[in-house]
Amino acid sequence: MIAVESIRKTFRSGSHDVEALRGLSCTIDRGRLAFIVGPSGSGKSTLLYLLGALDQPTSGSIVVDGHDLTRLTESETNTYRRDHVGFIFQSFNLIGNLTCVENVLIPFLPRGITAAQRERAVELLTDVGLKHRLDHRPRQLSGGEQQRVAIARALVKDPKLLLADEPTGELDSRTGDEIYKILRQLQAQRQTTLVIVTHDRRFITSNDQVIEIQDGQLMGAGLATNH
Amino acid sequence: MWKFAWRNLLTRPLRTALALIGLSIPILGVIGLFSLSEAVRNLIGTTLSRVQGVVVLREGAFSPVFSDLTSDMLDKIAAVPGVRAITPEIWKIAPSVEGRSAAGNIVRNVLNRDPKAPSKQLQNLLDQPIVVGQDPTRRAQIKSEVFPKAILKGEAGGRYLEPQDVGTDHVVISTKIARDNPRPDGQPRKVGDSLDIGGKSFDIIGMYETGSMFLDVVVLMPIDTARKLLNVSPDTVSSFYVEGDDPSKNDELTARIEQTIAGVDGRSPNEFASNFGSLMSQLDLFLLATVSLALLVGVVGIINTMLMSTTERFAEFGVLRTNGWSRRDVLGLVTAESAYLGLLAGVVGFVLALVFTLVANQFLGSTGLSLSITPRNALLGIGLSLIMGMIGGFYPAWKASRMVPMAAIRLGAS
Repeated sequence: MIAVESIRKTFRSGSHDVEALRGLSCTIDRGRLAFIVGPSGSGKSTLLYLLGALDQPTSGSIVVDGHDLTRLTESETNTYRRDHVGFIFQSFNLIGNLTCVENVLIPFLPRGITAAQRERAVELLTDVGLKHRLDHRPRQLSGGEQQRVAIARALVKDPKLLLADEPTGELDSRTGDEIYKILRQLQAQRQTTLVIVTHDRRFITSNDQVIEIQDGQLMGAGLATNH
Repeated sequence: MWKFAWRNLLTRPLRTALALIGLSIPILGVIGLFSLSEAVRNLIGTTLSRVQGVVVLREGAFSPVFSDLTSDMLDKIAAVPGVRAITPEIWKIAPSVEGRSAAGNIVRNVLNRDPKAPSKQLQNLLDQPIVVGQDPTRRAQIKSEVFPKAILKGEAGGRYLEPQDVGTDHVVISTKIARDNPRPDGQPRKVGDSLDIGGKSFDIIGMYETGSMFLDVVVLMPIDTARKLLNVSPDTVSSFYVEGDDPSKNDELTARIEQTIAGVDGRSPNEFASNFGSLMSQLDLFLLATVSLALLVGVVGIINTMLMSTTERFAEFGVLRTNGWSRRDVLGLVTAESAYLGLLAGVVGFVLALVFTLVANQFLGSTGLSLSITPRNALLGIGLSLIMGMIGGFYPAWKASRMVPMAAIRLGAS
């Protein structure tokens, strides 16, 4: 379970401060597929990044499975990112001079890659339909294929929490549909908590949780059926 | 991770190549200059090892050419305990050889450059002849003579100065002087030919070759003949060559001579070597300081390259941090890249230095100097380059590692 309590996040922009999140509180159930929706600049991605411990809130707390992310040490934060969270970005963010398999294995590169980890990466790439692209570089792949590599990379550590920031934002609608299909399938199989930031509500189904944000504040939260 | 770092360098080949050039040239300087310094040391060491006796000079004189002593010191020095034999010498730069003066030679070498024989020009600049007047009678008592031992074998070598040469216009010259001052038909001079020195004709009776650029510039003649040629009064000599009873005690003999006679410096081979070693150490420091400046420029080049590289890769570092890479891991990755850059620059610098020494050895010709890269100098150059690369990469690496992942990704995406 994720519990976000009164978080604020202020950025310095030039000579003035910008408040991206203004005392936002919400909860996300474990194993649930949750959507964070809202207009551009509402603070959706900032909330997602904070859930992934990619930054610290200015105030407030974020508790994921009993661990307060605002109190983690540097080392604990690294471990949390490496072992517990998978991240999928809008622009895929694959590393150009690594192959598909190597991109999937990025979390393990600093400590050396084991045969089991490599096997797991191949298995995941096979699951997302890229068995024939294992040794290809990102520039040799289509956008949809790149995003599937990114999904495999996010899943290679069997995370409890999967975070996706506009995962279909740079894809055409058909490819976007395929990506959502894959994400839903994997989430259902693994019972991973999947949080997706989007402004495209057509992918939301009735059983999904929806958190609606505007101007850094919570406008509403609950199952999609109530929205 | 090392493989990843290596690939990152290869991703931007032009930038990597430019940074490599920037650092490899100072490394070429380090290896090349220290090789030159070692070659000079070796040559001087070889030259000094031939001198077994003690040279007595005027106090503070740099060499016999710049020294003058009174002739009556001979008896005082000869009376010092431990002195077995002594001979006076006159050392002066030759006034002119075959009509060419020392200053004229330098000007001629600069003006009449021969692109087909560049080594000869350099050699000529280093080879201004020196006239040495010796007392053949006293010299006969000396056992550790350098030049008599270097006389060529057979008829080509002729003979060394002997007591019957006193009062004659006989000279002994090196093969180098013979080549540098050829006969009208272009052939090198030989024993039996004449040589014009200071407008006067001398008969060549002997030909020697030591192989040292410092010794093969000497024209030897009887001391009285040298006095007339160089206008040196009979009361004056340049130096005395002294041989002790025991060559291993030359330092003690030197000290006794200096204590007994005021205003003289006794130079044993050890002292020459020590003075020269000290001079070369200072030269090494100077070289190091000069090369350090070049290295600094190379390091700035690495910093610039790595800063550009890291600035372009903010999103990449953000992704790595998102996937659990610690700051230390990112620091390690960027430092590894700059270390590779430094190592490569060191290897390239080493290869350039190898080429440089091969080319330089062609130019140095028969000066006796021979450049070679010792394993120590190669390791010094490559090691220095590696360290410089790592130092140059540290700030960009530190900057990359300190970025907040969210900010890095957003900056990279913008």
